[in-house]
Amino acid sequence: MPAADELSRLLEHPAIWRGVSAARMEVLPTGFSALDERLPGGGWPARGLIEILVSRFGIGELSLLLPVLATLTRRPMARWCVWTAPAFPGSALPSDGNESCLLEPFAPALVAHGIALERVLVVRVPASSPRALSSQTLWAFEQSLGSGACDVVMAWARRPRAREIRRLQLAAERGRALGVLVRPQRAASEASYAILRLKLEPATQGVRVTILKSRGGKRGSVELALHASGN
Amino acid sequence: MRPRVIRTDDGRGTSAPALRSPRLTALSPEDSRNTSQDCAELWAGMCVTSSPSNPGESTSSPPLEQLATRAQRFTPRVSLEPPDGLLLEVKGSLHLFKGAAGLMQALGEEYGDIGKVSSFALAPTPLAALLMARWGKPLIITDKAQLIGHLAPLPLKLMRWRADVPERLARMGVRTVGEALRLPRAGFARRFGIAPLADLDRLTGRAADLPRPFFARERFRRRRELTYELENTERILIVLAPLLTALGDFLRLRQCGILKLECLLRHRHAPASSCVLRLAAPLADVSRLTELLGERLSALELPEPVRACELRSGTLVPYLPASRSLWQPGEQGGGETQSNELIEHLRARLGATAVCGLQVLAGHRPETASSVREPNAGFAAVDGSPPPPWSAFRRPLWLLPAPQLLQQKEGRPRRRGPLRLAAEMERIESGWWDGTDIERDYYIARDSYGVELWVFRERTAPHRWFLHGVFG
Repeated sequence: MPAADELSRLLEHPAIWRGVSAARMEVLPTGFSALDERLPGGGWPARGLIEILVSRFGIGELSLLLPVLATLTRRPMARWCVWTAPAFPGSALPSDGNESCLLEPFAPALVAHGIALERVLVVRVPASSPRALSSQTLWAFEQSLGSGACDVVMAWARRPRAREIRRLQLAAERGRALGVLVRPQRAASEASYAILRLKLEPATQGVRVTILKSRGGKRGSVELALHASGN
Repeated sequence: MRPRVIRTDDGRGTSAPALRSPRLTALSPEDSRNTSQDCAELWAGMCVTSSPSNPGESTSSPPLEQLATRAQRFTPRVSLEPPDGLLLEVKGSLHLFKGAAGLMQALGEEYGDIGKVSSFALAPTPLAALLMARWGKPLIITDKAQLIGHLAPLPLKLMRWRADVPERLARMGVRTVGEALRLPRAGFARRFGIAPLADLDRLTGRAADLPRPFFARERFRRRRELTYELENTERILIVLAPLLTALGDFLRLRQCGILKLECLLRHRHAPASSCVLRLAAPLADVSRLTELLGERLSALELPEPVRACELRSGTLVPYLPASRSLWQPGEQGGGETQSNELIEHLRARLGATAVCGLQVLAGHRPETASSVREPNAGFAAVDGSPPPPWSAFRRPLWLLPAPQLLQQKEGRPRRRGPLRLAAEMERIESGWWDGTDIERDYYIARDSYGVELWVFRERTAPHRWFLHGVFG
């Protein structure tokens, strides 16, 4: 049937998005086969903004990303892997009093997980107030995403507005980069322009990943044992 | 073929070389004086010896460059002879200073105040001038014919050859320049190499000598006074635009880029606010400089309205504009140029220390196992990082800069609820040699929210619990 062939070829155009069926798009394997099966195209999108909503910062969002970070930084012509304001998860551990403890990425652990440190760029955001911190973080995030010099950019942010997320998504498309925005879980009810939204909750073994929004993927949740595969 | 024999009218044949009789090339005394006055160059040599109080200071290069800059008052052709020499081509300036003696006097006045013992000499060849200056006798030789006669008594050590050359010459009984010049050339070259012979040739003017010219370091500096006061930083950028355009022309003319640009904003009462732009790679592109300066200015807090602004560049560095990449960023390693631009852009707004790379250090203490470093520019080949020495144990992805004290209850750590400890324990004892030794038992703990934490218990007396990392 030549007409059907022609039609299916037309529909493979990356600009055409059809509901459930996976439109062709460049993906990066997540390193977790159970998650790959559920994501559209079988992995993280290679460009665009994804959102990870966590019940607590530090619950395992970084372990979930480690395999793809290792793949991206070890490619022959790898671009930057930018960590924007990674000190931010510290504010999830304010605990005693109001001083928030700032966290730093621990290089030996990153190397142990196969990340090439030569390609890692840490952007620290000096800020006097939480509001300034948030706006500076989002500025640095958007600049890195749109620069074209990065493969993947990660940011930990508390409450970006929907309009800002739209700008981040456009910047990610422009810079052909994967943007990862980690936010608290209560943002799940807000609308978002991110092309993929995941929710992370603690489970008995590792974390439970729930897909809240995806272009053509299946919904539902999957339980992942992060550290068994991470090591 | 040229004819070997020319037949003249009277029928006698003469050979061609014989036409150039020795009498024609020999010069009468009057002729010799004339040629000496017309000798192409006259060099002033200057030798700076450090004053006895602080030896060694004068040998550093910046003072010599300063002296060279001052020497441009006498002539545009100045050369540096590190570590202590300076050469000036003064032939064209003699008339201005009323002859050689006047010039020497002017030189002495110019450099009389530098607090160092310096000596000058004038000679037709640069090396001869330098040698006489090193010798410390203020000689003036304008006649090339007298040059060798004046050079002859100079000791050979002034030539600053390799140490063994003057030693071996001294053993042969040759101690002065004149004695060395009398040696047969072929034998001299065979025994001491070509370089000393070439030096002697340059000394006597037998071989041409062109010292490398010195160019004073240039900077861009321009100021604009405003007839009104400005508070808005965006407006300030508009006011700066002509200055930036002038900077762009300045740089393009010299094919140079800059690594540093300072923008000074002057106020009525408060001291001037300064905003310094430091660049990762030489830059000459005005639109990009404007963009970066805009980011810096937007982060600047002005104490008062601005009345005048000024741009000052750092030193100029040679700059070749790179060609545009064929590839789009993200294809085949396109985006190499964007790599530096991103770092500069982020630094312009967030500060120089805001952007850094990471590296692993050789150390077993978690505090000393990693550090920050300057990010690699460009696409360096990624070679496999060395494997960490403790692959048997898990390490947290996030580390606290300093361990945080945890509450405890009945010997168990608490953090918003009890922490569940994993059975596996890792003991880290290290650092006894530098006074920051640690003796800790590390555990992986899980708090009531499901976050995995890296905690440790001191092995020494109070046995307190600390939080040191988050697995993430």
